[in-house]
Amino acid sequence: MALTITCPICGKRNGYEFRYGGEDKGPRPEEAGLTPEAWCDYVHMNKCVAGVQKEWWFHKDGCGSWFTIHRDTTTNLEVKGPEADK
Amino acid sequence: MFSKQKPMWGEKTQLKSSYDAVIIGGGLHGLATAYYLAKEHGITDVAIIEKNYIGFGGAGRNTAIVRANQRTQYNVPLYNEALKLWPILTKELDYNLMFNNCGNLNLMHSEAAMKAARMTIATAQFHGVESHLIDAKEAKELVPALNISEDITFPIHGAMFHPPGGIVRHDAVVWGLARGANKYGVEIHQQTEATGIKTQNGKVTAVETSRGTINTKQVLISAGGYSAALIYGMLGIKLPISVLTIQAMVTQPLKPLLNHVVSSGAYHCYANQTLKGEVATGAHMDQWPNYTTQNTAHYIKHQAEALSEFLPCLRGVKFMRIWGGLADMTPDMAPIMDGNDHVEGFYMDCGWGYFGFKSCSAVGKYMAQFMAEKECPEILKPFNYRRYEKHQLMGETAALVNYTPDN
Repeated sequence: MALTITCPICGKRNGYEFRYGGEDKGPRPEEAGLTPEAWCDYVHMNKCVAGVQKEWWFHKDGCGSWFTIHRDTTTNLEVKGPEADK
Repeated sequence: MFSKQKPMWGEKTQLKSSYDAVIIGGGLHGLATAYYLAKEHGITDVAIIEKNYIGFGGAGRNTAIVRANQRTQYNVPLYNEALKLWPILTKELDYNLMFNNCGNLNLMHSEAAMKAARMTIATAQFHGVESHLIDAKEAKELVPALNISEDITFPIHGAMFHPPGGIVRHDAVVWGLARGANKYGVEIHQQTEATGIKTQNGKVTAVETSRGTINTKQVLISAGGYSAALIYGMLGIKLPISVLTIQAMVTQPLKPLLNHVVSSGAYHCYANQTLKGEVATGAHMDQWPNYTTQNTAHYIKHQAEALSEFLPCLRGVKFMRIWGGLADMTPDMAPIMDGNDHVEGFYMDCGWGYFGFKSCSAVGKYMAQFMAEKECPEILKPFNYRRYEKHQLMGETAALVNYTPDN
């Protein structure tokens, strides 16, 4: 099953050029008033969606950019995210 | 599989509208928990709800290796008990589980790895588990097919030899436990998908299924790689889990050449020869989370390269069959077993990664005790859900180089 990832700079490339960077969890939480539970939620906790999720990738064997894509975890296929239509 | 005939484990029954306990997932952990709930605790009004058929997931896809040479003081006693239960279960269930305690040979390819092995062996010996450090020559004496020359990618420096480990026929465990549990009155409902858990005032009241609502006060999710998605979907509880496809394959049958399980961390490869003569071998997990359970050319090639380097006699041998399963990996390579935390009556048994098979017997016993007594048994306490927010990660990996989905 071929996985391809579209890098915003290099375009569509072989998935093995990239490193998976985790589910998109939004911005890093503010230090002020940060609880161990909230920090743990940001660092470790995942939704493990069987379907489309927004996630981070790093083009390690390429240009070195970090970016997000939407991918269906049941098919390994990249899909257009809701932002694509805006 | 779903024929109109009587299933192999006993009589087919109608799904009732209420049970004392419902178990989501007809895999080995669910079956073993149900078996011990009925046998040890007299809780026989139990339904196992399985979306597909029993043993569809990891239970029937693992490479059947069992061992008790893990790294931490919390894990070793649990796996050791699981290992000791195979001959006992074979008798109790009156089912041939084909336990072949041929021993595990874990190859080390650097002095750093030898040092890590020394510590793992010390832990094992402290807990009364047989495990030895041997050098490359001794490894070669144990498995003459090994290539111990220095001109391979990862030359063999030595090995960790764990004689009590070996192979168990995984399908037989599924069938034996299903029949054993059913004898005590546990019901198994295949092709029944759990779709939700109903709660009221912080307590479990019912499980929603594709065949209607089941009222119950206790529910366990032990659905292997699917657990994390189910727990988040049904109760909104996020888990420190990444779900990755892990691939496996078997070669054509060969004359006996491997009388031990051989594994290598550096090559990401483990192999054993089945009683039919095929070399069953597994690979590393995919590098990104996915539920495909599909094989990739990348790993088939990798597996062929790894095997033909340290077992050069396998060059030219053909893979006969390939498959994939799911590994639900946690950051500390240790499972999560907890209950009555977020919701009273809700239990979870997940995050086993690729260790679910070798642990199922002992875990079934203790999860059953947990559900029957509603108090967490001492041996399971270190595996609680809250350890991540307390920064009490378990340290099953010797040294974390990167925080990736697979650790």
